[in-house]
Amino acid sequence: MRFKGKIIAGLLVTILGGVLYAAGQEQAKGPETTSVSTTGSDSTVGSKPSHSQALQGAADRRVEGEKRFHANCGRCHMAPHKFPPRMMATIERHMRVRAMITAEDMQLILGYMTE
Amino acid sequence: MVGRDSVSTVLNVIRGRLSAAASVCLSLFPSLPLRNALLAALLISLSAPYLLAQQEDDTPKAIPIIIGGAGFITTFDGGQPHLGPLIAPVVLVPLGDRWLIESRATFESDLSQPPGSSSFHGKVLKEVDYLQLDFIANPYLTVTVGRFLTPFGIFNERLYPIWIRNLQTDPLILPIGIGPSNASTGAMVRGGFKATSTFDINYALYFSTLSTVSPLDSSRFAGGRVGIFIPESRIEIGGSFQHLLQDDRSNSFGFHGAWQPSAVPLDLRGEYQRSSEGSGYWIESAYRLSQAPFWQNAMRRTQLVARLQQFYIGKIPSDSLPPADTRQFEFGVNYYFRDGLRAVSSYGREFSQLENKNIWTIGLTYRFAIPLGHGDEN
Repeated sequence: MRFKGKIIAGLLVTILGGVLYAAGQEQAKGPETTSVSTTGSDSTVGSKPSHSQALQGAADRRVEGEKRFHANCGRCHMAPHKFPPRMMATIERHMRVRAMITAEDMQLILGYMTE
Repeated sequence: MVGRDSVSTVLNVIRGRLSAAASVCLSLFPSLPLRNALLAALLISLSAPYLLAQQEDDTPKAIPIIIGGAGFITTFDGGQPHLGPLIAPVVLVPLGDRWLIESRATFESDLSQPPGSSSFHGKVLKEVDYLQLDFIANPYLTVTVGRFLTPFGIFNERLYPIWIRNLQTDPLILPIGIGPSNASTGAMVRGGFKATSTFDINYALYFSTLSTVSPLDSSRFAGGRVGIFIPESRIEIGGSFQHLLQDDRSNSFGFHGAWQPSAVPLDLRGEYQRSSEGSGYWIESAYRLSQAPFWQNAMRRTQLVARLQQFYIGKIPSDSLPPADTRQFEFGVNYYFRDGLRAVSSYGREFSQLENKNIWTIGLTYRFAIPLGHGDEN
């Protein structure tokens, strides 16, 4: 019983910590700014980029998405071909839970797989 | 009118399933303080979405799908032939932006020749491997309730499906730490997040209650798994721990590792596990011959696999583990016809204190994906 209590307390601390940390991260990031790491350092794409910046950002995201697709999906199985976008969204959610892939990686992989 | 009825029916089904999930959750925790603690945790998790940004509008809306694997594997185990047809569909039903119902059922048979008979006989075995409700509370935390694959080591949860595994025989240590039917019944929190710019951390903490309803049986235990993944070098290492809350109340632990170097098409994986029922390890390498300078069309589809494993019996005997110290070496060749369809074959030699034997496998595996809606529209 004592051990079970400790486990529940541990779960609670984990959940609370995760929620608070995530909320803090989201507030610090701001609602309309996304950041994509391309070459090891973070490059921030603003909320109103110019046309050329937007194209460059999309190209960077595609390259990074492909890279993370092979790194993450290849951990367990051969990288599959692309599925239709709405199927891919479901598979992405399933794999996020199953393989515990980070939210940032999943966004980039989903973008690459549905473009 | 028909559309409105359909929506009403779906909403009623969803409402019923959520209510059933809550009832199961409460029944798992009969103690009032524990129940309150769990409810508080769930309440915090449920409120999390309102603190966080909503999903981007251009993200495709998820639809229910069926994915899974099917195959037909013929095994010669010590000279005795076994025919093994199998199909394991996974049903995925997304609800809103953050919920997911997922379930896998397995239908399989082990057809063998009874003494004196030239024909093969066997029964179809049916099992619900998992049926779980996931709630993605935030980028760092997912809450799961229901029946889920026990996250002890990496094979049971990630490498088990027939279309994923490189060799069709199970590792000898697979039964360690995963419960009597490879699954747990209870609750779990898990997630993965970027700890620094160089590595990610993933974790899972779970509690399983005792269930004696076969084939949905599970043991009463609690445990966790944590791993570190370095994307740049594609290295993953981690460890698992579990405390049994029944019988001998023993501890189990294990370590796992995987490496896929970028320079060569090589997969290296391995696990070590230890419990009161036994201990052992397996290490596997798989090499795709895509860099061979000849017959490139065939070579890039060919994969060579080798696995070495050992098992040592523990203090407590187990029906699902080998009855004696065992060593096994296996070598396999897989050929990928196209994405999801492949031919598999392997030869293995097992050395045990009871007997030495050869194990041959040959077969086909297939991965399928079926949308239950229009997959192309946003």
